[in-house]
Amino acid sequence: MLEQLLIFTRGGLILWSCKELGNALKGSPIDTLIRSCLLEERSGAASYNYDAPGASYSLKWIFHNDLGLVFVAVYQRILHLLYVEDLLAAVKREFSQVYDPSRMVYRDFDEVFKQLKIEAEARAEDLKKSNPVVVNGNRKSQVTWKGDGSEGKKNGAGGGGGGGLKNDGDGKNGIKSESDRFVVANGNSANGNNNNGSNLKSNGGNVSVNDKDNDSLNNGAFDVNRLQKKVRNKGGNGKKTDSVVSKAEPKKLVKKNRVWDEKPKETKLDFTDKVDVDRDADLDRKVDYLAKEQGESMMDKDEILSSDSEDEEEDGDDAGKNSNKPDAKKKGWFSSMFQSIAGKANLEKSDLEPALKALKDRLMTKNVAEEIAEKLCESVAASLEGKKLASFTRISSTVHTAMEEALVRILTPRRSIDILRDVHAAKEQRKPYVVVFVGVNGVGKSTNLAKVAYWLQQHNVNVMMAACDTFRSGAVEQLRTHARRLQIPIFEKGYEKDPAIVAKEAIQEASRNGSDVVLVDTAGRMQDNEPLMRALSKLIYLNNPDLVLFVGEALVGNDAVDQLSKFNQKLADLASSPTPRLIDGILLTKFDTIDDKVGAALSMVYISGAPVMFVGCGQSYTDLKKLNVKSIVKTLLK
Amino acid sequence: MQELDQWKEQISHLLNVANDHIREIPTDQLYAAAAIAVFTTLLLLLLRFFKRSKPNTIVLTGLSGSGKTVLFYQLRDGSTHQGTVTSMEPNEDTFILHGETTKKGKIKPVHIVDVPGHSRLRPKLDEYLPQAAGTVFVVDALDFLPNCRAASEYLYDLLTKGSVVRKKIPLLILCNKTDKVTAHTKEFICRQLEKEIDKLRVSRSAVSDADVTNEFTLGVPGEPFSFKQCSNTVITADASGLTGEISQLEEFIRQHVKP
Ligand SMILES: Nc1nc2c(ncn2[C@@H]2O[C@H](COP(=O)(O)OP(=O)(O)OP(=O)(O)O)[C@@H](O)[C@H]2O)c(=O)[nH]1
Ligand SMILES: [Mg+2]
Repeated sequence: MLEQLLIFTRGGLILWSCKELGNALKGSPIDTLIRSCLLEERSGAASYNYDAPGASYSLKWIFHNDLGLVFVAVYQRILHLLYVEDLLAAVKREFSQVYDPSRMVYRDFDEVFKQLKIEAEARAEDLKKSNPVVVNGNRKSQVTWKGDGSEGKKNGAGGGGGGGLKNDGDGKNGIKSESDRFVVANGNSANGNNNNGSNLKSNGGNVSVNDKDNDSLNNGAFDVNRLQKKVRNKGGNGKKTDSVVSKAEPKKLVKKNRVWDEKPKETKLDFTDKVDVDRDADLDRKVDYLAKEQGESMMDKDEILSSDSEDEEEDGDDAGKNSNKPDAKKKGWFSSMFQSIAGKANLEKSDLEPALKALKDRLMTKNVAEEIAEKLCESVAASLEGKKLASFTRISSTVHTAMEEALVRILTPRRSIDILRDVHAAKEQRKPYVVVFVGVNGVGKSTNLAKVAYWLQQHNVNVMMAACDTFRSGAVEQLRTHARRLQIPIFEKGYEKDPAIVAKEAIQEASRNGSDVVLVDTAGRMQDNEPLMRALSKLIYLNNPDLVLFVGEALVGNDAVDQLSKFNQKLADLASSPTPRLIDGILLTKFDTIDDKVGAALSMVYISGAPVMFVGCGQSYTDLKKLNVKSIVKTLLK
Repeated sequence: MQELDQWKEQISHLLNVANDHIREIPTDQLYAAAAIAVFTTLLLLLLRFFKRSKPNTIVLTGLSGSGKTVLFYQLRDGSTHQGTVTSMEPNEDTFILHGETTKKGKIKPVHIVDVPGHSRLRPKLDEYLPQAAGTVFVVDALDFLPNCRAASEYLYDLLTKGSVVRKKIPLLILCNKTDKVTAHTKEFICRQLEKEIDKLRVSRSAVSDADVTNEFTLGVPGEPFSFKQCSNTVITADASGLTGEISQLEEFIRQHVKP
């Protein structure tokens, strides 16, 4: 049952809501959706899950960017309503015809909606009857590939015909628990594939037929290529995760597609396949992360995974492409000149694609993790699609501006990053303020802990250090050196003890001797190291610190995503309490060594939702700064 | 290089032709044309100048959920329509206040901007403040205590913005949702905000060692902070957006954007 369908302006005024459905929603799913998904540059996702006491909703949305309207449907998650997207698209179509900015009441839309709903339900019913998988295919291809409903349907129907038998009807069940967890971790939606073997078949079949459909629809080689890669990656992926699946199957698919695409280069085929296997570890990590954290879309995953090989391929048949490139460019210049004067009707995805691609590349040269760049571009595309281009502006500059705004939004901290204020508040309650420094090995945790200690000391705060790195030899001595130089008391218990206990004792000691702040140094650990992560989780659970500060190198590129997301994930998984503590803030180190490659800041903030609280930018104790959002954004887009 | 030369030749040729044409036109006509051109540019400049010198923008700010959008539509249409959700974009419009539509005579319209309170969207504020004749900081009087610190921080940032301090933009702290009996009084809210800002003063001035986001400091050193110490006037008022009791807000607007 559809719980509610709402039409509102981007300004926040509700224009129409379904009175007939009328039952009051529990909690505030719409506001939460806007705050933690649409405003977090995650609107490229397919759906959003909202849990309130006594209700678990799924929300789907669609924008009309030119009119500045948002259409949101809310339904019970367990129901897997299949017609929601279809219905939303229909409502958008009909409503935009009657919309008038000066009109606020649309009671006459009730009737129209009733009709649309009946139609959509009937369509879904029809599809389901003819072939259950068809509906699923339709759904999927709409989410992942097509903005256009009719085209998606065609693909879906084809997919059903060629598709496998094993599909769990939705493809969502498998990661149910994980998607739930994700909601906790990141507040994002989860609706995607379960990367297990059984889905592989139907997806594979679906995609391969899609290819043909696309071809007949004259959809260009770009999509086809990507879809192929989708198949191939699925193959590699399936092999890894589920050994029951025969290896022959994906390979066969790949080959078939290859031939069909008229590039039957056997050697290359082998090459890419091998790469997949070679990178298995890496892939697996990424896949893992994606499936768990961004359950949202299989498209993302495939695209991201594929793009490496895509590049390789492009190198390969450069010659073929080059011949028609200059031509296209010339035409592009001319028409863009014309468009810029006339003002273009409505922006379409294809218009945006070149500009977005360029922007994505630029972000990546600044060391932004690839999938983050991709997600951002999608979100920007979602916010621009269908918009009117103003006269005398070029698409590229419009896209540029939209991206700039998006970046400023992301980097602007969601919560206050005024630690001193928090310290004073804790002081009033006569409690020491506890900061736990976490991170992977060798990022400069202890050094930057000392810098923070120095900074706090400068502002008349009594600091105490706690040496809880009982794992790496020499760690305690290193901290002791800093403590001596800064003349700060240090709490240490050698190397034998459980770090969680050491921290606890340190905090007790701090409340005894009246220290305001306890800075807890922990052992550096790789995000995959289960025992160490468990120890960290315990430390955090036992001591309930006021701030969990993730220390990360500004040098990292794609790895930033993995580190942070895994840290968060592990903290959530291994926590013994139902409301786990996650990372609250980020300290970026070695910022002085990266020149203009400031992308790690963006990647980390995007993936964790936590703000950058400090930036370490040198060797001395004074080299601690706050992040300057404006200059970072400028650098990113330069 | 050759192309360039060709271009040059063409241009000089065209210039010659134009010159000839101008010679053919009687001189008095030419003067008239020139005079008109000068006059229009002057007029345009003057218009712009006037627009600049008398800003008619009122900016509504405050935390998310404080009721800005409801107030915006109350001011414009005298109705909350079917309710609101969290804003993703500012609402702005130039209109004659709904409460004044029945009045006779010519009334100057007001430009009202409702800037979303979501922290990610706050940078938008900087776009509107430079043209503001006044700002309204809306506070949720119902749910005040849990949001007190967040509200104070936002207010602190607002009061220390260069554009506000330099132009002495007047500020109205509007305690909204007073239709409910559990709403806090404006005196209480004002006191709480002052207390909180006083603490922020200490910690913020410390943070700015590392960065310079706040361009100005607040209040008098050594004295507890009070809104009276601000260089711009800060006053408080009550309102209820839901029931339409917004007379004090309208009064503030008309005080700073003369009808
Ligand atoms: N009781 C009561 N509720 C109000 C009043 N004004 C607004 N509200 C409620 O407060 C909620 C938020 O109002 P909005 O106007 O959307 O809040 P906003 O300040 O625009 O929030 P953002 O757009 O997120 O910045 C709505 O549910 C309103 O119904 C009021 O005067 N009294
Ligand atoms: Mg609003």
